Amino acid sequence: MSFDLSNKKGLTRRKVLVGGAATMSVLAAPAYLRKATAATPIKIGIPTVITGGYAVLGSHVMRTAKLVEKMRNASGGVLGRPIEFIYKDTKGEPADCVRKCQELVERDDCRIFTGVVVSSEARAIMPKLEEWDAFFISHGNGDGRLTAEFYVDNFFRANTSAPMGARALALYLKDAEQKNFYAIGSDYAWGHSSVESFEAQITKVGKNMSGTVFAPVGNKDYSTYITKILQSGAEGCYVALQGDEGRAFYSQAQQYGLSDRVQMVTEIVSQANIRALGDDSVGLVGGSRYPFTYENEANKNFLSAFQAEYDGEIPDWTDGEMYQALDILFKAMENADSDETKKIVAAMEGLEVDSVKGKTLMRECDHQGENQGFVVRVSDMGGSEPVPEILKIYPREMITPDCRSTSYSS
Amino acid sequence: MLGAYIGYTVAIYTGSFFLALIIAPILVACFGIVFEKLLLSPLYKRQDGGAYLMVTFGLAVILAEAIKLTWGADPKGVQIPEMLRGIVIVFDFPFPKYRVFLIIIGVLMALSAWLFLEKTRIGLLIRAVSQNPQMVNALGTNVVFIRNLVFAIGCGLAGMGGVLAAPMVTAFLGMGSSVIIDAFVIVIIGGMGSFLGSIIGSLLVAFVLVFGAYYVPDLALAIIYLLMLIILIVRPGGLLGKEE
Repeated sequence: MSFDLSNKKGLTRRKVLVGGAATMSVLAAPAYLRKATAATPIKIGIPTVITGGYAVLGSHVMRTAKLVEKMRNASGGVLGRPIEFIYKDTKGEPADCVRKCQELVERDDCRIFTGVVVSSEARAIMPKLEEWDAFFISHGNGDGRLTAEFYVDNFFRANTSAPMGARALALYLKDAEQKNFYAIGSDYAWGHSSVESFEAQITKVGKNMSGTVFAPVGNKDYSTYITKILQSGAEGCYVALQGDEGRAFYSQAQQYGLSDRVQMVTEIVSQANIRALGDDSVGLVGGSRYPFTYENEANKNFLSAFQAEYDGEIPDWTDGEMYQALDILFKAMENADSDETKKIVAAMEGLEVDSVKGKTLMRECDHQGENQGFVVRVSDMGGSEPVPEILKIYPREMITPDCRSTSYSS
Repeated sequence: MLGAYIGYTVAIYTGSFFLALIIAPILVACFGIVFEKLLLSPLYKRQDGGAYLMVTFGLAVILAEAIKLTWGADPKGVQIPEMLRGIVIVFDFPFPKYRVFLIIIGVLMALSAWLFLEKTRIGLLIRAVSQNPQMVNALGTNVVFIRNLVFAIGCGLAGMGGVLAAPMVTAFLGMGSSVIIDAFVIVIIGGMGSFLGSIIGSLLVAFVLVFGAYYVPDLALAIIYLLMLIILIVRPGGLLGKEE
């Protein structure tokens, strides 16, 4: 059996019309697809702590992300596309954080991360970034080693690190009357990094360390540690405890009268702690990663938008740093004209932004953001709650450590 | 945790910590009664320990979220009443008055619970129900009421614990879960079902934690588990518990 497959008829009018329509469709297709891409949101993963001991920090991350999403999308989004945040609960556990990020990559096709709360979580996902072709900008991870010995290309840190906070405080304490200091830290990456940095810095400015101690994560009774601090004869106590641990320590230190005998200094002064501790927090001196009382145009805008959205509430340091990280991320994406990892990395290196904390430079050599250093004292300024009063601002060059290092040569 | 948050609200609205110390445990006990009636009592016939665990764990998760929605994620500070502020000097070292108050309350509550369980008729019935509910029921005692009462007392005491802890650690999400492990270790060390064993277990754990934190801070947490391990090897039923 045979079939005649040849087209014996010539071109008809109908065939020309059909062919023309098909050609037009093919030519028009890229424009149509471009339109679909423009409407496709840019996904940003927020693997943060929604439940667990650091849930307060996670809640601050999310409320600022929601505010930014609202503000940005109202003004046309980023690269002409809306932004969409995808929240995942890591519970503050490194293994969970890796799993949630993997989900973001594989299930949601999301390759930009921020909002990771705990430094050890950040440390856990960093080696996977290249494999995932993902970009991660830290809003608040303090462990100095993240931009030093653990450096990876696809990671940037917009925030003040633990060594930077300790440096600002050490510079301030150089002229203080206290000579001997004791340090207490949380027994995990950030706590160790913060205490070690403070120890190195404070001895450099001619003060002595009477001792250091690390309390287990989740510890609630600090009576033994307070006794040790009292016995040490120290005149100042450096506290690297955050969240629930920090509040428990300050409350109990106040009850023991430790705060009356020893000047408490801390790397991070947190508004959530101030609010919970009330008058017990007044007098606390510390570094501030984001003092909401700082005056510049960017912070004025953020503060008014935040307070309008959240019934006049005072933004905490996590809010300010999250806002800053997202601001820097969007500037880099706009400069790169892309949301691809490699292009964002290239645009981020050397980027300078007028942030809520002044001019911030994303250093090329180790991807650490150069931030000004703030030292504050918790004061009762007659408002509804005590607030951090800025005592001193140090230029970013003095505060940022040597490249890919946690120490300072000068 | 619920006790701490209710205590915070009562203290804010009434300005009295002591009133919070009375009202919060009562409200938490009432909550316990409702929970036991609605969710736990249908499980008694199943004789399945896993079901209790799942239901109570599920409730803990729901409760944490409900607290978050009601009070927000930020921690809540509870101020110590003026008369309990300040320190007393013990062996040349300052000791907070509030901790003295906690010790007194702790001793009083332990003593009351022991007297209640050992020296009253209802305490006798509670012990009997824990050992053989069918027999107690056959003898004409209302086992349902006894179980409801025990659960209410337990919830009330937990509520009181929350109110008392709040000035030391503030009221925060997850404050309940941090206690569960310690409570578990104490009961294992003391022996399941032994009231005196639990008291000895709690004192042992406290001593080990305090001395551990002082002399070997890096191992303070590990030591209590080591203690539990040693006791389980030497006495598998716990210090005063019965071996099964």
